[in-house]
Amino acid sequence: MQIDEIIRIAIHALLDHKFRSFLTMLGIIFGVSSVIAMLSIGEGAKREAIAKYQDLGVNNIIVRERNMSNEELEEVRAKFSPGLSLADAASIKKLLPTVDDVAPQAEREVETQRGDVSTKSTLIGVTPAFIEILNYEIANGRFITQEQYDANMKVCVLGAGLAKLYFANQDPIGRQIKVEDQWMEIIGVMASKAVFTETVGELASRDLNNDVYIPLSTFNKRFSKDNLLDSEIKQITVKVKDSNHLLESAEVIRQVVDRHHFNNQDYSIVIPYELLKQEENERRIYNFLLGAIAAISLLVGGIGIMNIMLATVMERTREIGIRRAIGARRSDIMSQFVIEAVAISITGGLIGVLLGLSLSWGIALFTNVTTFVRLYSVLVAFTFSVVVGVCFGWLPARKAANLSPIESIRYE
Amino acid sequence: MLIDIKNLTKKYEIGDLLVPALNGVDLSIDTNEYVAIMGPSGSGKSTLMNILGCLDTPTSGEYKFRGRDVSSLSDDELSAMRNREIGFIFQNFNLLPKMTALQNVELPLMYAGVSRAERRERAIKALEKVSLADRMNHKPSELSGGQRQRVAIARALVTNPGILLADEPTGALDSKTGVEIMALFDELHREGNTLIVITHEREVAEYSRRIIFIKDGVISSDEKNDRPDDVEEAIMRTRG
Repeated sequence: MQIDEIIRIAIHALLDHKFRSFLTMLGIIFGVSSVIAMLSIGEGAKREAIAKYQDLGVNNIIVRERNMSNEELEEVRAKFSPGLSLADAASIKKLLPTVDDVAPQAEREVETQRGDVSTKSTLIGVTPAFIEILNYEIANGRFITQEQYDANMKVCVLGAGLAKLYFANQDPIGRQIKVEDQWMEIIGVMASKAVFTETVGELASRDLNNDVYIPLSTFNKRFSKDNLLDSEIKQITVKVKDSNHLLESAEVIRQVVDRHHFNNQDYSIVIPYELLKQEENERRIYNFLLGAIAAISLLVGGIGIMNIMLATVMERTREIGIRRAIGARRSDIMSQFVIEAVAISITGGLIGVLLGLSLSWGIALFTNVTTFVRLYSVLVAFTFSVVVGVCFGWLPARKAANLSPIESIRYE
Repeated sequence: MLIDIKNLTKKYEIGDLLVPALNGVDLSIDTNEYVAIMGPSGSGKSTLMNILGCLDTPTSGEYKFRGRDVSSLSDDELSAMRNREIGFIFQNFNLLPKMTALQNVELPLMYAGVSRAERRERAIKALEKVSLADRMNHKPSELSGGQRQRVAIARALVTNPGILLADEPTGALDSKTGVEIMALFDELHREGNTLIVITHEREVAEYSRRIIFIKDGVISSDEKNDRPDDVEEAIMRTRG
């Protein structure tokens, strides 16, 4: 008998018992959809982590001043630490051959204002190299140039959020905003940056889209310190030429800065790439567990198929006897039931894929968990469901094929 | 000779016991014979029918169908024999309830690997033969008992088998409908088909041309029925 005939018989048998077929499929449906949803959560977390660390620069080492109370500050100053300074940055660049460039930055909480609108922002004093080292992008206009830097010009680049707040649909380039008591000319707007919810090492996460970037020279000239104990700069981002040298470079940087700071631990060093690797290792176990649970649910789905198929074979003993009496071979009966099981698992698998995609979409929509469905996870889940169907359909089909035609045709 | 059986035995294993069902049966049936096999229950007639119908194989002895030794065939070969050479007609019709009459009749041809178009054509012809072409899209549950048995007969005929093997064909029917089925058998016999009817009813056997009695696993009598009952007359009688 041709395969298309057997498929037709199998599909008819399923359609004759729609509700039961659907119940049989449920296990597979939930199995496949949970595999897809779980893998999408794992993949989403991975992508978010990669994006987060890539944002900090995979070749970067971040040296940042520790958050300290006034007492702590007084203590380290008393022990002769000047805090992070441009001298630290210059030494790192000069002493380490593995270092490509450094980007020092000073920070201050300020009030910015345009017309009647004002808001709290972080004012960041940077060098022209900042944008390239930190991998930021300009959406409009341009970043601070060396000439503007050298001339202490009162120019600024706005974060995307601020630009939107103050200028909505207007072009902000060439216009002025007020930062504290200083008027600054806007020369550029940063591309919008994703807001991450987690803290990376000493780097408290915050919305970078409300930042204002000005030349560090201007910063030092125009804005006095909040606190006389504050150090010159808040952070030095060091770009290393080769990511293989991150750990050694960080060690040397520590020695350099320690010497300048008289061994006061008033700063910390964050290596985003190392943190990424660490996090990936931790997540591997977690992902494996998620996948295993989902796989088990698929297996249970398969057992469900086997159960119902066995019951179906019993119920259809007489049909099998009739088919055998009029000439069906064992293999014909065998294929009929295997294909029925496969049809159930394929249909269940397809519904499961749709449900899994919706689940993953729903999770992303209604929670703050990022999900990402990779094609391979859909293929794996679907293929697995078909394999489960074949495997668990096998036993009932064999049972059906081995029924004695004489006994089964008299079966009531 | 169409069927040639020599010293056929069949023993069933029940636990440790070997229970004999057939104890050396010799039987020859020629093409276009119309044979009734009679016997009380437990006589071995069902066992003989199963072996004749290639549903079962003998314990010993010889069964030749068109000169071919059937007793040594594999399961697949037996399936093929049933498909091509045997047309079963059962007491309780044994139609597949979810299929239409036409689909039921097509089924043996499907297992024979006949193309869809030819299958349909031949199945319709077989249904016309039993005067049910107008009911071909009905399911068995929408047909009367007599009509169901006609569908079953069409299904048995559709592969042009060597023998039609009927097991108590009128057992589930009222006497009027039963006679109509026997009239159909008579017609099929006149057209050249070979019929074997297994029954315990004398009246049914009387329509055949040869009556074989089985008792305790052996043939106790095998006689020609020179004056078979006239089925036309019987029909007239039932119409009263």
